[in-house]
Amino acid sequence: MEKSGSIDSLGSKRSSSRQPSVDSLSSTSTRSDRSGQAKPPSADSVSPTELSPELRVRPKAPIKAESDKEEPQLLPNETVQDMTKDVTYICPFIGALRGTLTITNYRLFFKSTDREPAFVLDLPLGVVSRVEKIGGASSRGDVSYGLVCKDMRNLRFAHKQMEDSLRKSIFEVLMKFAFPVSNGLQIFAFEYGQVFPENGWKVYDAQAEYKRLGIPNESWRITKVNDHYELCDTYPSTLVVPVNIPDDEVKRVAAFRAKGRIPVLSWIHPESQATVTRCSQPMVGVNGKRSKEDEKYLQAIMDANAQSHKLFIFDARPSVNAAANKMKGGGYESEDAYQNAELVFLDIHNIHVMRESLRKVKEVVYPNIEESHWLSNLESTHWLEHIKLILAGALRIADKVESGKTSVVVHCSDGWDRTAQLTSLAMLMLDGYYRTIQGFQVLLEKEWLSFGHRFQMRIGHGDKNHTDADRSPVFVQFMDCVWQMTRQFPAAFEFNEYFLVTILDHLYSCLFGTFLCNSEQQRVKEEIPKRSVSLWSYINSQLEEFTNPLYVNYYNHVLFPVVSLRHLELWVGYYIRWNPRMRPQEPVHQRYKELLAKRAELQKRVEELQREVTNRSASSSSERAGSPTRSITPVQTFV
Amino acid sequence: MEHIRTPKVEQVRLLDRFGNKATSGTLYLTATHLIFVESSSTAGSQEIWILHHHIASVEKQSLTTTGCPLLIQCRNFRVVHFVVQRERDCHDIYSSLLRLLRPVVYEELYAFAYNPKQNDQQREEGWQLIDLGAEYERMGVPCDQWQLTDVNRDYKVCETYPRNLYVPITASKPIIVGSSKFRSKGRFPVLTFFYQEKKAAVCRCSQPLSGFSARCLEDEGLLQAISRANHNSRFVYVMDTRPKLNAMANRAAGKGYENEDNYSNIRFQFVGIENIHVMRASLQKLLEVVGVRTLSMSDYLMGLESSGWLRHIKAVVDAAIFLTKAVTVEGASVLVHCSDGWDRTAQVCSLGALLMDPYYRTIKGLMVLIEKDWISFGHKFADRCDQLDGDPKEVSPVFTQFLECVWQLTEQFPQAFEFNEWFLLQIHEHVHSCQYGNFLGNNQRQREELQLRERTHSLWAYLLSEQHNYMNPFYSPAHAERHPVLEPSTLPYHFKFWRNMYHQFDRSMHPRQSILKTTLTLRENSRKAEDTLHALEKRLHQLGVTPVVTSEPPAAPLPPARDRRRSSPPNNAPLLPPLRPDSLILGEAPLSRKEAQRREEEEQEQQNDQGGEELGEEATESSASSSSDTERTVEGSSATDSRKQSYGELEGKTYNGEACKEEPASVVNLEFGVARMTC
Repeated sequence: MEKSGSIDSLGSKRSSSRQPSVDSLSSTSTRSDRSGQAKPPSADSVSPTELSPELRVRPKAPIKAESDKEEPQLLPNETVQDMTKDVTYICPFIGALRGTLTITNYRLFFKSTDREPAFVLDLPLGVVSRVEKIGGASSRGDVSYGLVCKDMRNLRFAHKQMEDSLRKSIFEVLMKFAFPVSNGLQIFAFEYGQVFPENGWKVYDAQAEYKRLGIPNESWRITKVNDHYELCDTYPSTLVVPVNIPDDEVKRVAAFRAKGRIPVLSWIHPESQATVTRCSQPMVGVNGKRSKEDEKYLQAIMDANAQSHKLFIFDARPSVNAAANKMKGGGYESEDAYQNAELVFLDIHNIHVMRESLRKVKEVVYPNIEESHWLSNLESTHWLEHIKLILAGALRIADKVESGKTSVVVHCSDGWDRTAQLTSLAMLMLDGYYRTIQGFQVLLEKEWLSFGHRFQMRIGHGDKNHTDADRSPVFVQFMDCVWQMTRQFPAAFEFNEYFLVTILDHLYSCLFGTFLCNSEQQRVKEEIPKRSVSLWSYINSQLEEFTNPLYVNYYNHVLFPVVSLRHLELWVGYYIRWNPRMRPQEPVHQRYKELLAKRAELQKRVEELQREVTNRSASSSSERAGSPTRSITPVQTFV
Repeated sequence: MEHIRTPKVEQVRLLDRFGNKATSGTLYLTATHLIFVESSSTAGSQEIWILHHHIASVEKQSLTTTGCPLLIQCRNFRVVHFVVQRERDCHDIYSSLLRLLRPVVYEELYAFAYNPKQNDQQREEGWQLIDLGAEYERMGVPCDQWQLTDVNRDYKVCETYPRNLYVPITASKPIIVGSSKFRSKGRFPVLTFFYQEKKAAVCRCSQPLSGFSARCLEDEGLLQAISRANHNSRFVYVMDTRPKLNAMANRAAGKGYENEDNYSNIRFQFVGIENIHVMRASLQKLLEVVGVRTLSMSDYLMGLESSGWLRHIKAVVDAAIFLTKAVTVEGASVLVHCSDGWDRTAQVCSLGALLMDPYYRTIKGLMVLIEKDWISFGHKFADRCDQLDGDPKEVSPVFTQFLECVWQLTEQFPQAFEFNEWFLLQIHEHVHSCQYGNFLGNNQRQREELQLRERTHSLWAYLLSEQHNYMNPFYSPAHAERHPVLEPSTLPYHFKFWRNMYHQFDRSMHPRQSILKTTLTLRENSRKAEDTLHALEKRLHQLGVTPVVTSEPPAAPLPPARDRRRSSPPNNAPLLPPLRPDSLILGEAPLSRKEAQRREEEEQEQQNDQGGEELGEEATESSASSSSDTERTVEGSSATDSRKQSYGELEGKTYNGEACKEEPASVVNLEFGVARMTC
């Protein structure tokens, strides 16, 4: 833990009052409050969510000696690039603030001592999606800049026009470092030199995970055919395919699937042997091309499960879109060609629709919420509707596998966006392991990272091209679905909301190497594990922060969430966390922890006394034997 | 009894409101209840008890091939859909119910027949639990500025007010009487809450009979007196809780609102809460929206918004916040009124007091608050809740709305309230059940005439005896000390649809896991461990050893008769106590009833066997047995009953194919999620 000590003071110079009044509270001053105690090297992260209070009530870190310094506590290898006084931050909640702006190769740091407590804004440059100059120089000579961020907020700064026109404006420096890739610089993750006690790169080992699932077995084998990514460059090197399909046939199947993404095993039911397999769309085209090998391959998937003589193919797309793909050579499996297979469309829209939907959510919630039309505005974003469709799709998959004992094949177009959402959510429902902190990391590493969800493209790390049509909040949407599940099963997940928010913060921060690149092949080529730190190193070094006190080990339970709209809500703790009026929930979790501690103490005491009694009564003849010797209420077994 | 023609009908099917599943069973009609008993050999067979007073409407629909549908809507938002095989039976039940659910005189109400096997003394004690005189003393009145007046001792000045009223010391009798003549229904300004810290008072009254220009010197004098009683502020806020338009319209009828020119030192303010008719229509609309079987996300959100219900809730909370700020921040006294001063005024005064005083956020405190601001000040429960067959235009969910406001606050401040959601739901249940005397009638005078104290029982006694079920495990008295005054946020997303109120009886809408239940179990486990601890200490004591570590002195070795709950056999139960619907929200009764029974049996057995000596062992036994196996399966077992049907339905849908492609609604049919064991 001492390693992380150096990032301890990140951002926080002065701790603000514990319960700032609504008026004086700015989102960012809460942040400084928090990061003073917790130590996320964070994507500036305060989520004043119901979880943050846990952190709030922890003993205050001693106020740093350098608390009046105007620059941030730097991370290892972080260097200040520019610093300007007299910059105005136009906060949408508390108005204009004057202060000092510092740009490093990792972050933007703004501090204003105008008010008490000092106002601090500290964000990693990775969250900046675009920087624009607003208008020309005004009459007073102010230049104004707007920052659009990937994490649901916009920031606005103004400063005096440079008298010395030769000198670069701090915002030009900002643009340079906010988009290192576009400027031929290195992403900060490659420089960040922090060492953590845990090594997150070791969290996921494909072989070990497949072994946990009981693979290889009589029906499934691990193939080396993609060892050097020659079969499919967006797939991992380790793939699981049916036993009776030799590698050369696998190659022919790859020719028939978009981008060579053949159906491979994601999860296998420990009892029924029903499987979840994923792939991309078949290259059917307008003429309805068929592939004997592909048909045989799917048959083999079905045969691998003796319990059912059916196979369900879930196409995540709306049927119209799937049909339209035929024009581009893609399409879907015809039920004529695939015997015993049933095709189901899940009506989930594509990345562009989702991007647009979340953009509307941002419009509705940031900076201000229109009170009188809140619900209809929310409706107009369709975000919850999309969430519902995704959860419903995952639920149908999980239900087919669990209750129908039937194997399923899941695909969309390329099999790396909606497919990843669906398979990972279904696995989260089916397998309690993925609901632990470590298991969830494995799930992300496997279903998202190794199977080539194109993080670099969808997020656009360090890339200034903010209009890129390949950007989309697919992963955010998945995390939202996970959060919805945690709401319905508050005791089934080992991690808490803060864990989810932290992952999302570092999705953008570019502090860790975890979410860089588009595929396993690229990560290997770039030597990401060697050159950067894993997010899991950081998280696993302070698990306490991320643990859900309500957690009960439901290892053997399958969770079927209710996807009724009455149970879905907007993830206020993530999307609206910048709004200072989003009052943090009171620390229920804290209280729960107290209760747990109290019980543990009582139990300890009871056991002590019991031992005492046993000893005494054994020695005293007047008492009957048979005193309670067995242990009382095991700590973790209630429901 | 003469109205019941067919007391028992067999092979009645009960349809699930949101799913396709149906259960069959037997329908019994008794003098007080409609009972449905599921015919199933399994242990967990369902039983539904519907009190006649809870039934808001019965509808007999036209005959179908499977039978005659009977749709019953209840005031506690239960909706049941029976299908009776023979039309004649259906008609008999229908016409009997029609008569039974419309009592004409108070004596027909269940409260007069209900007998929880208590003697007169116990009943009397039950009624004495809440003492409003003591409550005013707790607030700090009478004091040097406020006194008890006997002007209404015989209900002569205002018959809808209680006998004991508190007014400023300087308000003489002629002033009071004069003022009352100038106020609608004689409801002159009186004290309802006293904020001791700032000596600021919250007073309530009805609208003045000002018309366009009338004035009344006594009324002005009384407001002056209220103002003078508070040295912190030079003026009194007068809150008219109506929208301005409504208040203006009232002027044409010779009523209206205070003219700031006539009253010195007042600040007049409209807060814009709509009237009872708007609220009734709004709730009706809300229920229509959420009652749709296959509801799309956009219909849901749009319907929720257009019903306006949450907006109205927010308006009430906003008004209470205004009141709270005026009193606690500015230290000003506030006079609240609406038209008659018994609906919106009661909501705002009681909610304001709840925000200002932590006492009202306890179980006993909320009872006191309801007793004071609602019951004693004459909220017309009989009319608003339709206790007797009356004018449907008088019915309105004003009190329900108040309870919902409280609930919304508990969601924002989970640590601030001693009670949990189930407590609010139970109060709501009994406001409509007419099983206890508390809410009968429209005002205190009427209640005295009905001799309710002598002839019925008090709900508060019952609720207090059960209070362990209503404890909020997150409650922290320390929190109340730190935040005596609550400042809720009124951002729109803080007002949520109260699923557990409006879908309380729709199993499929319940959350899969409840934090409350988990926490209660944890608490219960802790409590048992504590018991064991005490027992062991006692035992050690008997052995002549003092425990090594000194812990707190063993309090009560066993909790005072807490878990004692009798199960009511279905046959003779109607008149038998305690009719206690299981908390559907918590899955089963908060602390599993079976477990409680078994515990009780064990206790008795062991006490019989061992003469009550082996406390330690027995406690150990019960806690150990309740720990692992039985409880682990709760989630699974509660899910299994709905499981088969839901899967059948689910598979049917998808296999049939056409249904699922045509309407995206099939997705909604997947609503029955379950958690269970795979092995």
